[in-house]
This record gives sequence, structure tokens and C-alpha cells, in this order.
Amino acid sequence: MGRLTDKYCIVGVGETSYSKNSGKTTRAMGAAAICNAMRDAGLGADQVNGVLSYHGGDSTAGPEIAADLGIRPDFYMDCSGGGSSTEALVGLAIGAIEVGMCETVAIFRSMNGYSEVRIGGTGRRAAAPVAGSQLLSRPYGMVSAGQNFAPVFMRHMMEYGTSSAQVAAVKVAHSKHASNNPKAFYRKRYTVDDVLNSRWICKPLHLLDCCVETDNATALIVTSAERAADLRQRPVYVMGVVGRVTKKRGDTFYNDAPITDVAGKYAAERVFGMAGVGPEDVHVTGSYDAFTFTTLLQLEDYGFCRKGEGGDYVSNGIIELGGKRPNNTSGGHLCEGYTHGMSMVIENVRQLRGQADDSCPGWQDGIHTHGYAEGGCRQVREAEISMNLGWANPVTGSALILRR
Amino acid sequence: MPQVEYRGMLLMVPDNDSEFGGYFEAAREHRLVVKKCAACGLLRFPPGSGCPWCTSLDWTWQEVRGKGTIYSYEIIAHAIQPGFRDFTPYPVIIVELDEQRGVPTPHDGLRLIANLVDDQFQPEAEANVAIGKRVDVVFQDLSPELSLPQFRLTDEPPAGSVWQFPG
Repeated sequence: MGRLTDKYCIVGVGETSYSKNSGKTTRAMGAAAICNAMRDAGLGADQVNGVLSYHGGDSTAGPEIAADLGIRPDFYMDCSGGGSSTEALVGLAIGAIEVGMCETVAIFRSMNGYSEVRIGGTGRRAAAPVAGSQLLSRPYGMVSAGQNFAPVFMRHMMEYGTSSAQVAAVKVAHSKHASNNPKAFYRKRYTVDDVLNSRWICKPLHLLDCCVETDNATALIVTSAERAADLRQRPVYVMGVVGRVTKKRGDTFYNDAPITDVAGKYAAERVFGMAGVGPEDVHVTGSYDAFTFTTLLQLEDYGFCRKGEGGDYVSNGIIELGGKRPNNTSGGHLCEGYTHGMSMVIENVRQLRGQADDSCPGWQDGIHTHGYAEGGCRQVREAEISMNLGWANPVTGSALILRR
Repeated sequence: MPQVEYRGMLLMVPDNDSEFGGYFEAAREHRLVVKKCAACGLLRFPPGSGCPWCTSLDWTWQEVRGKGTIYSYEIIAHAIQPGFRDFTPYPVIIVELDEQRGVPTPHDGLRLIANLVDDQFQPEAEANVAIGKRVDVVFQDLSPELSLPQFRLTDEPPAGSVWQFPG
């Protein structure tokens, strides 16, 4: 971006509740999430004229949801994609505005991710015939995200000596954060032993290494800094963004070796270069924690620690509230609920505004205790720069650097 | 068009499948093949339509011996597909074939996914699965038309160090 750094903002965020049985359509949830984001921004339907979404055949198209809100799009795209789409679509929204296709873009993801279409091929996905490149994995009982990614982490454990206890610390940290997030699906605090004693899903992954699939919709609104100046919230500026950066041999997760290097290795230089900052300048991170270890791999490859030292980085307190650089202060996918990445961007926007919606009575006015005991505050002190690390899979990722 | 029901899935190889048609034709004859670039001569797997090294679209099938080393693995305890419930716990392994290891760069290799199975095509015991162990291809005949490449442990000593998940 460079020349566009600080010229575009996220001005509104919103979501629905996280549940395992929404009892609603993705149309109704998507409309509710965008409506919440518009109210947050102080925008009316005639002030939003772009709609972007991502989906895996499990959502409702943008024009239907726009119609429910009175929005007449001058631009919309429904993009096929899961994790790491959020950050990529922020970049595409900026591009659409920059070339004059529209002025203000709502980005949404709506999914009955538990009650209708679960990730990995249960529900209606299971009935589809298996052909083409799927024949390389599904006949071997390798279908879910966890099953697809686990051999990458197994290899990391071999190459670097990373332990199950170290990576369990990610769940411990995120569960502490979730305990201070009234929206979170799981608000219980977990210990390393809780993770290690939970049942095996696919070794080396325990149940508590895996995120919580939920029904939800999430939305955010992007516009220019000029327009943002008149809106309800303090603008959060986009410093740098990269979308769906992919390793060579992106057709598999095991051909561009070392397989323990993930897409962040290639995304880091571009996104930090655009933003003009480095990892040491970032106050709060939002990593894509579909699993505990995806957080670890991303933090390494974006340079928050050296390659192979992620086990130490995630288990020494740095990523916890009160630590040097808290990660996923909402509880993330592991605890708040699985959203395909949008929720961690929403959380960082709130952090940069000073409006983490925790249990502090004055959070809406930015008044926080910074007491991180269970059921308390989750606002990071003086959070000025945040970074989101989006993950589609080991070979594809996106990143977004924001400032207040 | 070869198709077969296996563990609740309908596996099919459409007649126009220029990536996998020849692969499964060979598998039916119990031969493992990869693609060979007609321009630069490098082998590749999966059998994509073009060469990742030189972009040529011209290729031939090339038989390989089917011997290799376990590059990584997982042990699946919780089956996602209902048809695999009676197969758990089962190993999924990434095999690195002996051909073209470390070519064209030191990290490259011909790698594929399979189950590590015993003589009865049942899952190999977890205690016997480790990175670095030697394996050999075997073919599981799902029907007269469709066979699935699988791998078994061999008696060969490992070439390098062996590593097993301590959990």
C-alpha cells in the first residue's frame, strides 16, 4: 500500500451472538451483523454502497442481505473463501473505493457453522462425490481442517522440539481473555493440564487444541479517512494489508518444504513494509486460532519470535493480557467462537478504540480498570497498533496492521 | 468412469480427469506413477496439469518403485467421516518417495498421503509409526476398477534418525 497507508479506516464493527443453534438463516444473521456495524458507525443505509462477503457455499448472497437493510449497492462481490478472507477483503474494499466504484463498504461473513455446515465435510458436504484432488486425501480419512493441518505441526514438534504443553498455553491464554468477554461461547478458564487431559482428536491435537464451531455472523465497515472523520466512532486506520499470500505448490500442504514454514513467511515483509513498522511496534495481535498451534506457527513466521521458538513465545506470558503483546484478547476462535477470522479483526478495532466490551461498567466510554482477573477487564493499556494474522491453511494467509 | 463406494464415500474418476485418470489406471495394475515433465524431465506429484519447475504443459506418466520414508504423520482418534469410525485409531502418513529426493532444491521431494496399513489393510499400530521409517506401496483393491495406493512398513533400516510423537 505505502501511499494509501492511513487513508482508509474501519469505522464500524458488529456481530450476532455465538451459539450452536441460531435458529435463524444466514440471511437474517448477516443482516443483523451489518445492521449492528452500521449503528456502531452511525451510518444509514443510503451511506453504505458496497458489500463484500466470503463464504464456502454456506451463506446468503450480498444483494439479498443488502435488500433487507435498504442498501443499494454500487458494488458487491461474494467471494469463495474461508479463513484469511477478512483481511484480504479489507484490501479489496480499499481498492474498490480508491478506483471510485463505491465509497463505503460493508464486509460480512454469516455462517451456521455448527447447526448447518460444519467445517470438514459433515452435514451436506459429506454427500458430495469424491473426485479430482480430493482423491489424494479423503479416501484416507483425511478431511477436516485438523486432520489436514496436524502433520505440519507434528513435523514442527520433530524439527524444533515443540511440546504439547507449550502449545496448550495458547488455549490457557485465550481462555483467560474469554473469561472477560461476556460474548464468548466458552468463558471458563483452562489450565495446561486441562488441555493435555482432554481426549485425542488427531494426535498431536487434543480436543482443547481445537476451536469451537459456532453459528454467527460478523461484519465491519471500511471507508475513506475523510468520510470517517464525521462518523460516530474514533476511526481505526489501515496501515498495511496483504491478502491470501500463498506458498508455491499451493495445491497441497506438504510439497513446498519446509512444511513448517507457513504463508506468513512470505506475507511479513510485504505487510510490514507497507505499514512502515515491525513486529516490535505491534501492541496486540490477533492470530487465527482454528487450533492452538496455528497461532504458534503464525507468530513465528511474522517474526514475533524466531523460527522454532514459538513454543517458548506462547508459553511465557507474552501473549496474555498484562503481557508484552497480548494475542486474541476476545478469546478468539478457541473460546469466543469460530468465525473464519472476522471476529479477531473486530476485537482489535475495539482494542484500538479503547472500547473492549468487557465487564468494566464504563467500557463504552473507554473507562477500564485494567484488572485482568477472571470476570474483569480485557482492555490492553495504550493499544495503538494491532496486527491480524489470517490463516486459510498452512500455505495461504493474510495480514492486516491497524492503528488508532 | 471408475467409481466405487468406500467407507460411505462415492469415489469417482471422471473420464475427462486428465490429472488422476492415468494415476488410477496404473493403480488398478498395481503400479505407482507420477508425472514427468517432457521439457525439463523433473518428476512431480500430485499429478498437476503443468510443470511447477518450468511451466511446460507436456508430460508423460512415469512409474516409480513406491519405496519411501515417512515424512510426517498423525494418528486419527476421532473420525470425522462416519465410515471411518471402525477404522480408528488410524495413521495418516506423508510419504516421501525415494525418487528425486532433494531435487531440484534440498527441500523438495515427491510426497503423497496414505494410510499406514498392515497385511490385512487394517491400520498399523501406533507404536510402529514414526517419522523416518521406511515404507513400501501396496494396493488396496476397492473394486475391479479402482485400487487405492496404501503403504506398509518394510524391514529396511531407516536411512536417518527416527522420531515418534512422545504423547
